[in-house]
Amino acid sequence: MSLLELKGVKKIYQQGKIKVPALRGVDLIVEQGEFSTIFGPSGSGKTTLLNMIGCLDTPTEGEIRLNGNKVSDLSRKALAMTRRFNIGFVFQSYNLIPVLTAYENVEFAIRLIDHTSELKVKERVLKILEEVGLKGLENRRPNELSGGESQRVAIARALVKEPKLVLADEPTANLDSKNAADVVKIMVKMNKELGTTFIFSTHDPMVMEYAHRYINLKDGMISADERRG
Amino acid sequence: MFSFKLGLKNLTRQKRRNVITILVIAFAFFGYLFMDSVMGGIEEMSFSNIKNYDTGNIQVVHPEYWKDREKLPLENLIYINQDIVDSIKNLDGVLGVSPELRFKANLNNGIDEVSVLGLGISSEQYNEVFATQNYIIEGSMFSTGESKAVIGVKLAELMDLKVNDYITLLVRTKEDTFNTIDVEISGLLNAPNPMINNGVVFVPLDIAQQGLNVGDGVSLLALKTASGDEDKIAKVLMDSFKNKDLDLKAYSWRESAESVIAFSTAKKGGAGTILSVVLLIGMIGIVNNVILSALERTAEIGMMKALGMREWEIVFVFMVEATGIGILGGLAGCLIGFTGVGLMAKYGFVDYSAMGVDISEFGLPIDKIYGTWNYPAFSFLFILSIMVALLSSILPAYWAAHKDPVKAIYHR
Ligand SMILES: Nc1ncnc2c1ncn2[C@@H]1O[C@H](COP(=O)(O)OP(=O)(O)OP(=O)(O)O)[C@@H](O)[C@H]1O
Ligand SMILES: [Mg+2]
Repeated sequence: MSLLELKGVKKIYQQGKIKVPALRGVDLIVEQGEFSTIFGPSGSGKTTLLNMIGCLDTPTEGEIRLNGNKVSDLSRKALAMTRRFNIGFVFQSYNLIPVLTAYENVEFAIRLIDHTSELKVKERVLKILEEVGLKGLENRRPNELSGGESQRVAIARALVKEPKLVLADEPTANLDSKNAADVVKIMVKMNKELGTTFIFSTHDPMVMEYAHRYINLKDGMISADERRG
Repeated sequence: MFSFKLGLKNLTRQKRRNVITILVIAFAFFGYLFMDSVMGGIEEMSFSNIKNYDTGNIQVVHPEYWKDREKLPLENLIYINQDIVDSIKNLDGVLGVSPELRFKANLNNGIDEVSVLGLGISSEQYNEVFATQNYIIEGSMFSTGESKAVIGVKLAELMDLKVNDYITLLVRTKEDTFNTIDVEISGLLNAPNPMINNGVVFVPLDIAQQGLNVGDGVSLLALKTASGDEDKIAKVLMDSFKNKDLDLKAYSWRESAESVIAFSTAKKGGAGTILSVVLLIGMIGIVNNVILSALERTAEIGMMKALGMREWEIVFVFMVEATGIGILGGLAGCLIGFTGVGLMAKYGFVDYSAMGVDISEFGLPIDKIYGTWNYPAFSFLFILSIMVALLSSILPAYWAAHKDPVKAIYHR
């Protein structure tokens, strides 16, 4: 059983009287542990596709299965639960909570699923922060962190609950090339160590280099899908 | 709980806006507590005006007289029997007993006539119950048997009278025939009770009894007691009258002061209105605060939804923050209120005599008015502030939490 299966997924946005087709029939299978990038011109539907996969939105047509479970027609509440336990997100603009420290921003995600032991939570948060290279910066607030460090906090937040799938929509778009490379390297490392499946979208060829699979979107359809390495 | 902590930490964001909301709530609170204290002060003043210058703490009257007392009848009078007076006087808690004969009269100064309330009193006994004599500003009080009168300054001004002037009181006797009481003015009063200044003529009890042809009859006995003891002592008196088979009843000042009770009712109504305004201000402040926060944190709400937070969990975070603002506003309001009411209670809030304004014309007491403490109002308001914050934040918080996650994340 594949981790993720999309069959004939379409998404049509209604803008006033005009129908905007963002996805026009996407078929895709992603296996556990894959490290894939979605690329394509602006407006090709990358964000829309990631939102469908991430259970943030439901397709107009077609079917999405996560772990064999159909998620394309779940209620809002059920979608929220699916996200909570199975999916990690990394956003282009980090979206950290400014009044929380790096530690607390990561703790936030794990508290939603783990109400057990204080000690275990602490251990996990510290460990994941160390993994993304933020040891010693745990008590900094987002305004005391660089863009690269902030995005690493966001990655730690996505990974701390050890989800099967992490989705990142242009995670490096706000970073300079060195920080961008660092962030992607961390994703690669976590993919290797934890076996977490990553799907990220990007415009940056340098970042794309690190992926094992390239999914090219054009006008809401997959025009190429290659594996490498 | 993490959401709770997050809600509290969010209080430190938009500090300026939060502080403004807190201050708005605090001043609304203060306004209420201040008004409450002022109204309480006026009420207390009116009460003491009635007790100290008009009714005494308790009035002993014939029950039939009581029904008609507004008409000042000369029927159903009490015929004083020294035993009864002594037995009342010897009762525990009774500090003074003053017999009073109340009658309608027309005051004539030789040119004009005005209708007044005549009060036949025995000056020493009157002194034991009422403080009025302390306010004689010119001349002096009369003694028993003297054909003299004391009147209020306002009345004197109106009728163009001075001490040592002669006046005639036109009255109707018990038999309904006309009679006159001719007296010399021995003193002028400026009491804190406007009614006394404007329309009362004090004459010696025996002179009044003669003029009205009522023998030993008096309208009532006014009693002074420690304040607060009225109801208890009135009950003891009622029981003893019943045992002795006397046709008398005792009424506390409260029962004879409908106007005051009317003021108290008005006070409650006024307080209710102010309270509603205060609550409305608090509500608007909180709702405004939650909406603005939610708008500023749209992307953050989107992130929370992406993390799989449920709507009620996000609502909870906002409500903690709003309630924190409510509590801080409530505390600040109580604190300012505490200071304000404390100052008013200690130093008073108006001193009309110092201002040179005579407010007795408006039916208000003349003395300085002091604020009263109403401790339950503080705790009541504080609890209310929490409730208002909780309740008024629910809807805007839900509106914030209900956003479509995709739209929230991308601000579309
Ligand atoms: N909420 C929406 N309402 C209407 N149209 C939308 C909405 N979201 C996306 N679209 C449209 O759908 C198409 C795909 O958009 P999407 O954001 O998925 O593209 P993208 O590949 O992520 O682009 P970019 O590289 O600029 O981020 C675009 O034409 C866009 O205008
Ligand atoms: Mg996009």
